[in-house]
Amino acid sequence: MELLTPNLGTFFWTAVTFVLLLVILKKVAWGPILQTLAERETRIKEALEKADAAQKETEEALAKNQKVMDEAKKEAQDLLNKSRKTADTTKEEIIQKAHSEASAMLEKAKREISLEGEKAVDEIRKQTAELSVLIASKLIGKTLSQKDHQDVIDDSLKQMELN
Amino acid sequence: MILTQTLSWFLAGGGVQEGHSVEQQGSSEPEKLGSEFIMHHITDHKVFDLQVFGIDISITKHILIMWIVSAMMILLFGILFRKPKMVPSGLANFFELIIEYLDQEIMKPFLGDHSRKYAPFLLTAFFFVLFCNLLGLVPGSATATSNISVTAALAVITFGMVIMTGIKYHGLVGYCKGLIPPGLPIFILPIMIPVEILGLFTKHFALAIRLFANMVAGHVVVFAFLMIIFTFKSWAIGGTTLLFLLFVNLLEVLIGLIQAYIFTILSAVFIGMSIHQEH
Repeated sequence: MELLTPNLGTFFWTAVTFVLLLVILKKVAWGPILQTLAERETRIKEALEKADAAQKETEEALAKNQKVMDEAKKEAQDLLNKSRKTADTTKEEIIQKAHSEASAMLEKAKREISLEGEKAVDEIRKQTAELSVLIASKLIGKTLSQKDHQDVIDDSLKQMELN
Repeated sequence: MILTQTLSWFLAGGGVQEGHSVEQQGSSEPEKLGSEFIMHHITDHKVFDLQVFGIDISITKHILIMWIVSAMMILLFGILFRKPKMVPSGLANFFELIIEYLDQEIMKPFLGDHSRKYAPFLLTAFFFVLFCNLLGLVPGSATATSNISVTAALAVITFGMVIMTGIKYHGLVGYCKGLIPPGLPIFILPIMIPVEILGLFTKHFALAIRLFANMVAGHVVVFAFLMIIFTFKSWAIGGTTLLFLLFVNLLEVLIGLIQAYIFTILSAVFIGMSIHQEH
């Protein structure tokens, strides 16, 4: 059958055609396009890697920023707390001091008042005694000597104190 | 499409008309002429006589078709890929897609790191077979891949590639040894050695026959449907057959694509097998 009989001429020409086609296409088309495909592949890979790296960097920077901000916030809070505390203690101290000063002053004033009072009472007593001696001497018409005078006063004062 | 071709043959006094005019002579007459018509369209024809040292190397129609296909491929891929752009567009994009698909689906899986070296051969084989198959569907042309000599030559080239690859990676002795699976008992060897050697040839023989048979079968069906139209000469049957014809023709496009793919993938598998003999 003609259909199934191999023809040497056709076989020969097919082989020649195919091999020539392969050589020409390899030079003209497959070489450049395969090169380009490989290049494109590496380029896309590199671009993706770069994008990944950039994203990572951005994320890191963001995290860093967040951290710095957090730290700053914390510091501010600390500072606020500290100053609040200091203010509180200072206030407390001032109040305490004022209180103690006030009470000290009060105490002093009280002491002074009582001292003055005692002094005044003493003076009054002294005056009263002198006055009474004066009145008494006038009454007895005789001027007591200085010494007698003193004795009488001391006696009467002693008696008063005893009372 | 094919109608014009048939019509010209018909007007030139084709077999069936004569067969019908002399119907009384016997019903076997149109059948014989019909098969002749089919054979005429499938077999090759000499275009230019050429003899070298007594060997007939005449230029035939199929060879001319192959040259047309080759010229088309060189022009098309030369223009598209000689100075490839990093960002492809249009037709270059389309063909790059196919090349990338073949690279990912055929070359990388079966050839691995060696894929780059065999890519030109596999790409040429794929597009050559594909374009021959598809050009065969154009009226007035012929299918070079439905010629057993053509497919045999392609299979022999693949066979040569396989043998050369094997010898390159394992040496002549190593390759021959590697053909027989290791670890076999000695008494099986007298059977296994012929089987393996035969298998080596059968694989490539099948490669040639598969492509040839598929392309012939498709065209026989196409022309057989055409014969039905001219045998019955009825509008109803002719119309229905025309639909079938269209369907078969579209199927032929698919088969042309599938056969080109199969030829390429099997070539890659055979080359891969001779690189990694242990599998």
